[in-house]
Amino acid sequence: MTTRATRSPRRRTVVALAVVLIVLIAFVIRLVDIQVVNANEHVAQSQRYATGTSLTLTGNRGEIVDTDGTVLATSTVLYDVKIDPHLAIQGIKKRDAAGAIVKDADGETVMVGWPELAAQIAEITGQDAGEVTAIVDDAVAKDPNSRFASVKKRVSTEVYRDLAALGFSFLAFDPVETRTYPDGAVAGNIIGFMGSDGDALEGLESLQDSCLAATDGTLTYQRGADGVRIPGTEVETAAEDGGTLQLTIDGDLQWYMQQLIAEQVDRYQADWGGIIVMEVATGKIRAFAETPTVDPNDPGASDAADRGSRLMRFSFEPGSTYKPITAATAIEEGVATPYTTVNTPSRMTFPNGAVVNDSESHATQNLTLNGGLVTSSNVAMSQFGAMVDPQTRYDYLTKFGVGGGTALDWSGEPSGGFSLKPADWDAQTYYTTTFGQAFTVTSTQVASVYQTFANGGVRMPAQLIESCTTADGEVITPDLPDPVRVISEDTADTVSLMLENVFAQGTLADDVKIPGYRVAGKTGTAQIINDAGTAYKKGTYFTSLVGFAPAEDPQYVVLTVFDEPKTQTMSSANRSVFKKAMTQVLTHYRIMPSDEETTLLPVTG
Amino acid sequence: MSAELYATAALPQRPGYLPGRAPSEPDVEPRRRLRVLERPAPARRPRLVYGLVAVAGALAIGAAQMGLSILTTQSSYEIKALTSQQRELSWQQQILADDVAGLSSPQYLAANAASLGMVTGQTPTYLRLSDATIIGQGKAASGTSSVSALAKAAVDNALVARTPLVTNPSTSLSGGIVATAPVAEAGAEGDSTADDATTSTAPTTESATPPAITDGLPTPDTH
Repeated sequence: MTTRATRSPRRRTVVALAVVLIVLIAFVIRLVDIQVVNANEHVAQSQRYATGTSLTLTGNRGEIVDTDGTVLATSTVLYDVKIDPHLAIQGIKKRDAAGAIVKDADGETVMVGWPELAAQIAEITGQDAGEVTAIVDDAVAKDPNSRFASVKKRVSTEVYRDLAALGFSFLAFDPVETRTYPDGAVAGNIIGFMGSDGDALEGLESLQDSCLAATDGTLTYQRGADGVRIPGTEVETAAEDGGTLQLTIDGDLQWYMQQLIAEQVDRYQADWGGIIVMEVATGKIRAFAETPTVDPNDPGASDAADRGSRLMRFSFEPGSTYKPITAATAIEEGVATPYTTVNTPSRMTFPNGAVVNDSESHATQNLTLNGGLVTSSNVAMSQFGAMVDPQTRYDYLTKFGVGGGTALDWSGEPSGGFSLKPADWDAQTYYTTTFGQAFTVTSTQVASVYQTFANGGVRMPAQLIESCTTADGEVITPDLPDPVRVISEDTADTVSLMLENVFAQGTLADDVKIPGYRVAGKTGTAQIINDAGTAYKKGTYFTSLVGFAPAEDPQYVVLTVFDEPKTQTMSSANRSVFKKAMTQVLTHYRIMPSDEETTLLPVTG
Repeated sequence: MSAELYATAALPQRPGYLPGRAPSEPDVEPRRRLRVLERPAPARRPRLVYGLVAVAGALAIGAAQMGLSILTTQSSYEIKALTSQQRELSWQQQILADDVAGLSSPQYLAANAASLGMVTGQTPTYLRLSDATIIGQGKAASGTSSVSALAKAAVDNALVARTPLVTNPSTSLSGGIVATAPVAEAGAEGDSTADDATTSTAPTTESATPPAITDGLPTPDTH
């Protein structure tokens, strides 16, 4: 039984409870809003308005090291010196030795004028005193309340500390993370460099940025009035340093090759030149030298065109260095042996109308396949090549890497290749493909071809990067394509022996002989298309000499190239550079002489 | 009273109820289950020691907390001092690193070696220890280097381009010498005091060579 008396208090209770609930829900909503929905904004506000401070923790960009761990690129800090012209122009109060402010007879504070201060700054920064004075004078002349001018950018820590020791309150120093390259231009062509704004611009700095780049962290904390951090208020997101990039390059060998090619390019007045040293068993590139090479410490000192790697980006018709592929094709297909002979005049007109010349005129000879390589006869190689159908020759050249690019994945690296499919080859192309024309390759691809011959017919992918070791120690090795068996081991050995005969019996024999060692290789004098792209240049060539040693157990491939040597236009220009480069490689890797003799194969039959 | 007794007698008796008495004797009057409670003991006065312990504990906690807080604050000042010391040292380390940067580069080392008359690029001779065989040419180096690491230094290094060579302080990779380089400073000081070449080079050599070992090579003490 409900009476009015009992109903009224109950309703009051319900109403009160409802009100309390509504208020509670409102509070909860607001709480969630503050703590969850807009939490970040409030935290940021609290740090902005309260005593909190937030620092950006910068991680260090990773180092680039060579195969021995020698540092080729590392990070350092330089400082930008800034000045407050408005304050600087007023000078500072003069103080005596004890630090007390000096007053003149009238009790006025004696001021040290700006020019005198500027002279002190200039003495440390190495600038001209007038120059520093002018920076502030000009800024003030433009705007009397000017608060900012730059005195000097990128000064060393030593200069920075000396300037800071002056105690001028109008100077400010901004640390700038920069790169330093202890070995200078050694491997500068492949290491690349960074821009002044810290962007990776060229070479591996740019290509391997994902390995090298650091991740910034933050540190927030609250400070007391005296600047001391209040304990327990620090919140740190640690910065992550970049990884260490290890190259396959050997820094000392690289230096030698760069010095050598620079001297030789100068000697033969070539446009540029390069040397590649590749390990036979692995395809690892131990030296990738060229001249001119940028000094990454000071890229501005090089012409813009010289800052990248030409050796990586230049593709050319290889010429005679690809004749051994024709020989390998004929042997592998079973249509010829090193002793097979062809009748070889110095100029020959073929049934399909094509005309092929040898580079020098000679009496008609009965050249063997070996002799075709030793004398580098276009006419002989054309005939050996024609024993195999064009599609098969095309397939072999493709298997040897023509048109396949390299595993280096360099920026702007051409993949080269044929301009025409075998079905479209004209009469001339039908024969020129047997001696390295009508398709283009890069220097690295040429080195890989000889690596294949030296390695028993198995091509290892060209490799420039050993590994990337992340800051927490994880070693990441690059993903490389699988090795490719291009020709059988027997064929490879036979071609190697013929290449050895080229060095033993060719015209270059005396100039390239390294006492005690068996060396195999081949020259190439490639014609270059003129700038207009209409015809071959006359009397000037892209010359190369590539080989490997020791021939009985090949360890290293050395490739030397010159672009348009002037004082000696043919591949004979490469003889001394090849010999010196190969000698250095054999010495550097302590490869002992064998004193074995090359088995000589007949040149004529 | 009697009603209560009956009620009690009517309760089912569980075996073992009221131990000591056999359940076969139902007619025996059960023992009285109600008794008079003793007077509760008069509330004792709380012992003073408990109170003291509680208060002392609270004070101790407070003191410990304050002590810890003081220590933490104190150490944050120490951290500040150490941090600034660390900063000072890292500046110093950076300055020293800048000073030696590039001195280990191959072009600088090779130029130094070349100025001592050393040559490179010769085919080496090997001596096999097992049978004392000489492998190779067995001749001395010809005297001409395959590269001119000093005269035609071609591999740039902006870090050491104008740093005087250790082996020949009057020259550098680029030919010129910068006066502010650390090694050159030593030389320049010598020049300012006397024009004598020996005094100008003496401090350079001193700074460049490692300290002499006077007592022979260090050997471990073994027992």
